[in-house]
Amino acid sequence: MDTLTVTTIVLLGGIALLLAFGVPVAVAMGLPSAFAIVLLLGWEGAALTSAQRVFSGSNSFALLAIPFFILAGGLMTNGGIATRLIDLALVVAGRLPASLAQTTVVANTMFGAVSGASVASAAAVGTVLSPRMKKDGYDPAFSAAVNAAASPAGMLIPPSNTFIVYSLVSGTSIAALFMAGIGPGLLWSAVCFVMVAIYARKHPELRSHVRPSLRQALIVFLRALPALALIVVVIGGILSGFFTATESAVIAVLYALILGLVQRTLPVRDLPKVILEAAKTTSIVMLLIGVSGILAWVLSFSRIPQTISEKLLSFTDNPAIILAIIMVVLLLAGTIMDPTPAILIFTPIFLPVVVSVGVDPIHFGAMMVFNMCLGNISPPIGNNLFVAARVAKVKIEPVIGRLMPFFWALCIGLLIVTYIPELSTWLPTQLGLMP
Amino acid sequence: GSSTAEGQAAGGETTTLQLALNQTEEHPSYISLDAFGDRLVKSTDGRFDIEVFPNEQLGAQADTLQLVSDGVVDMAIVSGAQLENLSKDFIAFNLPTVFDSVEHQMSVVNNPEITGDLYSSLAESNSVSVVGGLTQGARSIYTKTAPAETPADLAGQKIRVQESELFLALVEAIGASPTPMAFGEVYTALQSGVIDGAENNEVSYFTQKHHEVAPFFSYTNHLIGLDYLIINSNTLEGMSDEDRAAFDEEWTGTYEQHTTLWGEATDDAIAGATAAGATFTEVDSDAFTEALEPLVDQFLTEPSQKKLYDAAREASTK
Amino acid sequence: MATHPDDEANSSEHDDAATVRTSRTVPALEAIRKTTDRILALLCMVIFVALVVIVSWQVFSRQILQDSAPWTEEAARYTFVVLALLGAALVFSERGHIAVELLASRFPVAGQLIISVAVELIVIFFAVFVFVIGGYRVAANAWNQGLSTLPLSVGQVYMVLPLVGILITFYSIYHLITVLLNGERPTPSVDETAEVI
Ligand code: NA
Ligand code: NA
Repeated sequence: MDTLTVTTIVLLGGIALLLAFGVPVAVAMGLPSAFAIVLLLGWEGAALTSAQRVFSGSNSFALLAIPFFILAGGLMTNGGIATRLIDLALVVAGRLPASLAQTTVVANTMFGAVSGASVASAAAVGTVLSPRMKKDGYDPAFSAAVNAAASPAGMLIPPSNTFIVYSLVSGTSIAALFMAGIGPGLLWSAVCFVMVAIYARKHPELRSHVRPSLRQALIVFLRALPALALIVVVIGGILSGFFTATESAVIAVLYALILGLVQRTLPVRDLPKVILEAAKTTSIVMLLIGVSGILAWVLSFSRIPQTISEKLLSFTDNPAIILAIIMVVLLLAGTIMDPTPAILIFTPIFLPVVVSVGVDPIHFGAMMVFNMCLGNISPPIGNNLFVAARVAKVKIEPVIGRLMPFFWALCIGLLIVTYIPELSTWLPTQLGLMP
Repeated sequence: GSSTAEGQAAGGETTTLQLALNQTEEHPSYISLDAFGDRLVKSTDGRFDIEVFPNEQLGAQADTLQLVSDGVVDMAIVSGAQLENLSKDFIAFNLPTVFDSVEHQMSVVNNPEITGDLYSSLAESNSVSVVGGLTQGARSIYTKTAPAETPADLAGQKIRVQESELFLALVEAIGASPTPMAFGEVYTALQSGVIDGAENNEVSYFTQKHHEVAPFFSYTNHLIGLDYLIINSNTLEGMSDEDRAAFDEEWTGTYEQHTTLWGEATDDAIAGATAAGATFTEVDSDAFTEALEPLVDQFLTEPSQKKLYDAAREASTK
Repeated sequence: MATHPDDEANSSEHDDAATVRTSRTVPALEAIRKTTDRILALLCMVIFVALVVIVSWQVFSRQILQDSAPWTEEAARYTFVVLALLGAALVFSERGHIAVELLASRFPVAGQLIISVAVELIVIFFAVFVFVIGGYRVAANAWNQGLSTLPLSVGQVYMVLPLVGILITFYSIYHLITVLLNGERPTPSVDETAEVI
């Protein structure tokens, strides 16, 4: 066997084996990668190179947005912003059939627009709405399914830590990616909205829930306004040139902090805990990013991406077919993998292929993140699925059954994102963010 | 080089030298170094080949310098600023005013009589030998709103610089406000107005499409950029005299080809950017030189540095 | 996301962040771990606040004072690396790093015990090889390489790698002893509000 084959087997086999036995993903990814370097360069070179990659992986100013968006999300969840957004969603969707289910969709969309991640959104929205839905006669498995299905939109709608990770490995602009995520993110929410509407027609007993007076609606809106204004601050600040996309994250932190303190919804004594939790979450992600640098290095050094790329291109150079193959591989990977490691592993392999057949890296990022969102709700392992089930206090299995119609409908959404590039590239192009 | 099969056909083992590069496959550096490998295979009867890894695949320059020092990677292209970290003498060739032109620069940095001691000075301490230099062209300032004919035109403007003491001092000396920022963020930052301008050579200006968002390129020529080809000393010493001679000769062909390609790329960049609406403006170069001259004394603190600087100036034909 | 999907049993009993269910422990080891946890937690909080201040100052000095502070970008990057790595060590204390426990959790208890021991040994090997040995070598190589805007050398910052490697090794040895003493898998904590991205 030649070196390339041995390296590939050590890498893929080693990672799969260690993952299966419950080794932390960072180590499961890093150890076979380091060992592959040992085979190529010996022990000393492997130790030095691996350590250097782990360090350099975090040594990037652009990635600083990740801890800040995580901290801002923590401050908002603890500071009552979540509750105000849900109240507003109740007013917006309150008159619709199956209004509480539609409220779940709307609240997750709003939360997604102020937060960089989506799992916190599923937790916050589900904790408030699941008990109310149960009281109103909803099937608890269905309410968990709606929440799970709707919550990943926050990964697509800016701000988005997932896009920041993609920006790092693809070398594309964060600001452009953020704008590219709006279309697919709204499409995601729209698909969920339609699916709930179809469900509502079959279940006429789930009536509309809230018919607030104009005065009540106005009060709820005003209470949620400062939270919604954060969207304007972040996006407006980036587009006007007051700060960069990375810096916008620290502005979000200051905004959420001041808002929580001024509205007296964020107790000062909670701050250390919120900061510490955000630090730990950051570290979990950053260790993955650092260690994936070892994998990326050994892949480059042994030219594995080029080999895969050449094989794929010798099979076909039709972009539509290549994208279809890649989307299926990513969907399969997403059944068990988290978005961050999946993006870190697959972007260096697939991006050169799709770019060589004329796909725009920004467009590819949008479809990749959309795909990863599907992975977050697909069984057997999906963060949003788990959290939505847990806060609704139901078992996973019945939720999966209720979730599958959403999943298949969202797969059609993936087709749209994949084959209509304008959905993601139109806005950043109009704003001059894409060269 | 991709001619490994050719080399093996000549019989015997081929030693493939891995070369880490921070530029893309279209860049003059990649093209000339790839051709370096192709010629080396032929002139060493297949005993040596070079495989170039572009796009920072093996790490940023600071990282690949370490990898070469440790023998993980055989060769790398690193900037003068990176080598300054190992020996302060390298700063002599990184300063403004040291070179008049690319031709002057190439005649100095590839002249063993001037550079011999400098290029071998890291062999014992760091196992790194410098093969020679590749120009990265004269650097100038480009801005969003108006050309800068004198330093006064730049007063208070936020100019993006790489994170380096020298560049910070340089932009400050011109009277602008230096703003360190990652290279990948510059396009968006210029577009949205986070910064007012940046500084680079014409080639990067055009290939990074910065001309779309900062159309005023002013020929400040404040510094002529320089990259070095470095090689692990043990690898170099492991070559037979015959192979070493072939290596040196093909290197001469490499930097000559690179200089030609660089000139062509610069012309293409100017033509492309002009066609897209950018303007290239001559500046009051005496005014800029006057502002920059104090930097030479500020940064040349050792007699050994001063000696290299003076040797370079003496080679000037101006 | 850590752990198995329907792990209802342990979602309620974890008020404390540091949660490994243990019955028998080595008191001295437990005390060292608790102290290390506290120091690391405090460091992470302080460094995170510093990071917020540095980047805020970057925006403020550039946009309000109209005079960019040139040191902020480099300071922020290196502060961030140190925060990320120290935090990663702390998370190893809680066995909180993302793992796929689907297959391992289906094994009988004896099998799970063997797997737990193997997992900790693998983590120790990785920490020593990459973080301690590799990290020390990178630090030594870059010891005299100065940062551009700060009075520190790159090598000095790199020393966080071997330090973190030693901490991870310590935590893994602690888990290893706990597993062997109790004859069962320690259960990692589940934090349902943790943001996984
Ligand atoms: Na979001
Ligand atoms: Na999944």
